[in-house]
Amino acid sequence: MMYSFRFAVFAIPFIFLFQTELFAQSTVYASVVSTKLFVVGAANANTGLYYQRPGVDTAWTHSGASRIRAFGVATKMSAKGEIMYISSGNGLHKTTDGGTTWRITTGWEITEVLGVTPDQRNGDIVYIATAYGIYKTTDGCFTWKEMNSGLPTLPFTSCVIIDHSDPNKLFCATEDGIYISDDAARTWKRTGLHVANARVIVQHPTDPSTLFAGMENDGIYVTHNGGAWWKKCEAGIDHTTFYAIAFDPTHPDTMYAGGYVSGVYRSIDGGSSWNRQGTGIEYQNIHSIAVDPTDGNRVFVGTIFSGIFRSDDAGEHWASAGLPGAQVYRVIIQPY
Amino acid sequence: MKMSSIILINFLFLWNVSLSQQMSREGYLKAYADRAAYVTAAFDTASNASFNTIATRYAHNSDIGLADSMLLEVLKDPKGDMFWMFPCMNAYLQGKEKMSPAAKSAVRTAWKTYAPYRGDTENHWAMYYASLFIAAEQWPGLPGSEWYNGRSSDENRMEAKEYIIHWIKVTTTIGQGEFDSPDYFPEYMNAMLLLAEFAQDPQMKQRGLMMLDYILVDFAAEHLEGQYLGGFSRIYEPAVYKPLNSVASAFAYLYFGTGQPSQTGWLTYAALSSYRLPQIIYNIATDRSRPYVERERKRVRNVIRFGEEKNPPVYKYTYITKDYGIGSLQGGILQPIQQHTWGVRYTYGYPYTTIFGLHPYYSSLELGMFFPEELKPLIADVVASKGTYNNPDKWTGSSPYERTFQYLNTLVVLYDIAPGTSTGHIDGFFPANLEQRLVDSSGWIICKAGDTYVGWYPLQDYEWIAGKSPDQKEENDFWRLRSHKLQNGYVIEVRSKSEIGSFETFAGRLRSHVPKGVLSPGAVSVRYTTLDNEKMFFAFPDIRKLNGKTIDLSKTKLFDSPFLHAEVGSEMLSLTYKNLRRVLDFKNLRIVE
Repeated sequence: MMYSFRFAVFAIPFIFLFQTELFAQSTVYASVVSTKLFVVGAANANTGLYYQRPGVDTAWTHSGASRIRAFGVATKMSAKGEIMYISSGNGLHKTTDGGTTWRITTGWEITEVLGVTPDQRNGDIVYIATAYGIYKTTDGCFTWKEMNSGLPTLPFTSCVIIDHSDPNKLFCATEDGIYISDDAARTWKRTGLHVANARVIVQHPTDPSTLFAGMENDGIYVTHNGGAWWKKCEAGIDHTTFYAIAFDPTHPDTMYAGGYVSGVYRSIDGGSSWNRQGTGIEYQNIHSIAVDPTDGNRVFVGTIFSGIFRSDDAGEHWASAGLPGAQVYRVIIQPY
Repeated sequence: MKMSSIILINFLFLWNVSLSQQMSREGYLKAYADRAAYVTAAFDTASNASFNTIATRYAHNSDIGLADSMLLEVLKDPKGDMFWMFPCMNAYLQGKEKMSPAAKSAVRTAWKTYAPYRGDTENHWAMYYASLFIAAEQWPGLPGSEWYNGRSSDENRMEAKEYIIHWIKVTTTIGQGEFDSPDYFPEYMNAMLLLAEFAQDPQMKQRGLMMLDYILVDFAAEHLEGQYLGGFSRIYEPAVYKPLNSVASAFAYLYFGTGQPSQTGWLTYAALSSYRLPQIIYNIATDRSRPYVERERKRVRNVIRFGEEKNPPVYKYTYITKDYGIGSLQGGILQPIQQHTWGVRYTYGYPYTTIFGLHPYYSSLELGMFFPEELKPLIADVVASKGTYNNPDKWTGSSPYERTFQYLNTLVVLYDIAPGTSTGHIDGFFPANLEQRLVDSSGWIICKAGDTYVGWYPLQDYEWIAGKSPDQKEENDFWRLRSHKLQNGYVIEVRSKSEIGSFETFAGRLRSHVPKGVLSPGAVSVRYTTLDNEKMFFAFPDIRKLNGKTIDLSKTKLFDSPFLHAEVGSEMLSLTYKNLRRVLDFKNLRIVE
């Protein structure tokens, strides 16, 4: 399904941020859960948020607390790096000054925060996916409310996303499949995907009715009608557990996926068929993938215990890009 | 070790044995003071820079200048998360009025710049929030920019207070999650000692004091000569087969005067504290003049997925005599990695004073129930720090295919293991130093450990494997009973000389009490008449009948024994010993005697 990029710019306002001519530079952010062995109370290597500017920086810079087991990272895109969020074992951390100072915004009730998704249209609204379900703030992270109505009794949620076209519509990945909310997380119901152990869900950048879900033990599923009906992606896939799926935001028919000992898969036909792609990364556990909005050939991958890998030729060749030994749960790329 | 030290330890050990006979309050306090002095003696002249040394030097006015310089040194590179927070705060408060401005400033700076990990389990949170509460009280009115987490003093104090109140309420209504852990006992003790000793908020101080009583009497009621008895949420090797090696036993030495003398750093802040064990708890810990049953209800650590509820109940049953204790949890996955489902512990044959069994199961599914990381890499992640987890020869762990049924000193354990499970065998631990380990023609394995006799009736074929624990260089120190049948089980009978007479009498009685098992996949059960002629029927997983009457474990109270009583949901624990009574009333934050 093809949509012109120009159409997307006008149809979905925030997507214009990806328009390449506006940005000369991008910054890659990586959330590190641990580096090799992590034992609570021991002298562990740093965890937390790292960032670098491809082509400018030769090393990764650490920001914020170093002992928090960072699962996820997100930015308020219009704030150009001033407002960032880290979801972590310790809770949800936020900076409003580009990382000079950070504040933990959640209390004792909220722990094991696996993902964070700010509403890009309303800076006061942020959702977090946690081992204990979904929480939401509507006041810029000062207070949080549990939003688990309709989710399973044990509402473990590894990922939550906001529909590009409707800020009241959300999807989340639970141990009971993919759930949807049409009322800004007040209530949830299961979508047509009844497969257990969903790990990740992503939405097509320009076609909001198309979503892909990565599963534990059951591959990748796609829906083209907003979640009512799902189809398993079979062509070219011979692995079963997928933690990461990503679109090239400027050419959404190009997609990447990865998971347990899978290396990286690429699709150039909008997910209809896949090929295990590239040399140098074949047997890695892939946990996160991000394509640079300023250069679709530049792809970063976060691995479990092998740090960051990078490709500059759309996944044909890969090389280590730092943070050796790190468990990198999330990589995002922010154009500035 | 110097000869003088050996003599001192031997003297203290013998003295403790004699002290374990009950004594007057005055005598207890004197003996306690001597033990506390023995503990801190290891630190007040030590030259290594550690919080234990620093706190002790401040408390004893032992070269304050040196303590200051040690403090500056250890604060150069803070590490240890909540294991750093509580000793740091304790050392600071021991020396606050004595230390140099530079040392004082270094502590403040550390709490501004070093951001500890909050952890992922109950003991972590207890230490983290107790320490944070005390720190926030010490530095009131500071903005978020003065704290490592960006939250103000008031916010930190309130959050910590809320968590501690929440934890106490959960513990006193549905039970502790990391319950009865011989190795994680000190974490809770040190968290509560900090509150009891240093909280300025009188209610928080009271909470700390009451929880010290609560934690200690929970141990006291299942204690035998320094050993924690029964099933445990978490225990490490080698403490699981050398019971006095656990850190809880060091606390038994300090507070109960039992077990072995210890100078572990875990005891430092207890030994420096003004908290004194109430007489009634000491009496409960040491009076074993009559056998009794201790029933308890705890809860499973937070289940985050692959389960039906967040904190399912744990049912614990322990039978205790002056010679031995046999105790069990109901079985199943109640804690990841370090569960000890059942065991017999006795007073003979130190250090190997135990016989127990398990299904050494491991799986990413079990870990995923409690840890949020991805399932498939999780086993390797856990093994990196807890190396025995996926070892089929390990001696700790839970299994979804194991269940128990205990009545007094008789225990039935059944297994119905699914084909293809990570480990397809069950193991039993038998110390090599048993006086007798006879394989009788009746099928019973009959053991003698001093005045304690243990019978083990395997329901399936098995083999004996000589074993050597990691620190054992030459001789084998245990026998492993291994059975490879997936549908399996055994019956355990324990009696002491004072209960049944001679070992020969015990063996003769066992021969006429042979269990009858049904061992088919999905249909595993056993019928057995105990040595006391009680008829037990147990069908895997959860049908338990005694003399034809179904046992309903869900009616188990939080505490139920001659010494302790607490109803589920009550927030209240009653202690009773002869004419002494003490009620810990957490609802009204008061102690009634």
